[in-house]
Amino acid sequence: MKFLSFGILIYLLFVQSLSAQGPPIFTDSPLLLGLEGGGIRTFGKYISTESGQTYIQPLVVPYNVTTDFQIGGIQPYVFLSPNNGESQSGFGNFTLFGKYSIIQIDGRAKTFRALLKYTQTFSTGASNVSVNANASQFSIVTGYITINYGIYGTVGYTIVSNDLPDNLIYNFAFGYPLLPQKYPPFQLNIFLELNGTHTLDVNKHLLFVSPGLQLMTSSTFLIETGVQIPVVDDRNTTKFAFTLGIRFLFI
Amino acid sequence: MKPVIKMILIMFLLGISSTLAQSSEVKVRVDGLSCPFCAYGLEKKLNDLDGVDSIFIDFEEGLVLMQVTDLENISEEEIRTKIEEAGFTPREIVFPRKNEMPDKDD
Repeated sequence: MKFLSFGILIYLLFVQSLSAQGPPIFTDSPLLLGLEGGGIRTFGKYISTESGQTYIQPLVVPYNVTTDFQIGGIQPYVFLSPNNGESQSGFGNFTLFGKYSIIQIDGRAKTFRALLKYTQTFSTGASNVSVNANASQFSIVTGYITINYGIYGTVGYTIVSNDLPDNLIYNFAFGYPLLPQKYPPFQLNIFLELNGTHTLDVNKHLLFVSPGLQLMTSSTFLIETGVQIPVVDDRNTTKFAFTLGIRFLFI
Repeated sequence: MKPVIKMILIMFLLGISSTLAQSSEVKVRVDGLSCPFCAYGLEKKLNDLDGVDSIFIDFEEGLVLMQVTDLENISEEEIRTKIEEAGFTPREIVFPRKNEMPDKDD
């Protein structure tokens, strides 16, 4: 049971933020362009909980079918180190996602966009590091982005199989560029994000405050880092999560 | 200076001045240009057009300045299509006036 709740916690952290293709670090972006949404992404996420330590290394590969439609896949590798048990590692559950842009209102140096996102997670992962359940998530991703700041929001609902509880997710991010916007870019962006998950049936809430920093050295490469600190944790299990990652464009 | 080196230098300088003289600027107003890291696709798409020499993006003004070496091979419609394919909204496109265009014999 202890492993199961540990696994569910890791799973919640996964559905909540690992699939985000931001530039916000933990929140999705409605833009499917360039590094903002179109870049290949990998990062290391270290999660410290009362039950043990976890390290997750996902690889996120998006592909723009058209300007308005993107598909992609996420394959994580998971290391679990429970306090009362042996350390284990293996591939986590594979996730496919699709995004379809539904609103695009462009102005001079600003844009408002919204998209529908569908994420399907399959229980393909090693049983010792993954929850044996499929999950379907529907979400709406919005953002108002100007050259001076960016505001991003996501609301979604996740249906989980195998009698595990469904959950509601919500993410909000505010981003601010610390350097003048120019092209080719050399940018330093600061983010403050809120990442929440409400697990239905058991009525448990988990809310992180997530500050982050992002350095872009060219049009095709960025490095980013962020910390997630729980401010509401009904399970009282999460201490913090730390993320360090990169994104790059091949094309 | 040896005559051969002199000749090479003169040809090099003539080459540069000829290239500079034949380059014209097309100004394109593009809406939705809100982040430098999403503009890479726009640069790539516009560079696909024949005769585009270089591109400068002014985010404050929402302007794309294209240095074009061969204006005859480029149309407003093509530029609009490329901008839409890159995920942005094209607005006014200003080509250089006839008297601003370089003489073909230059």
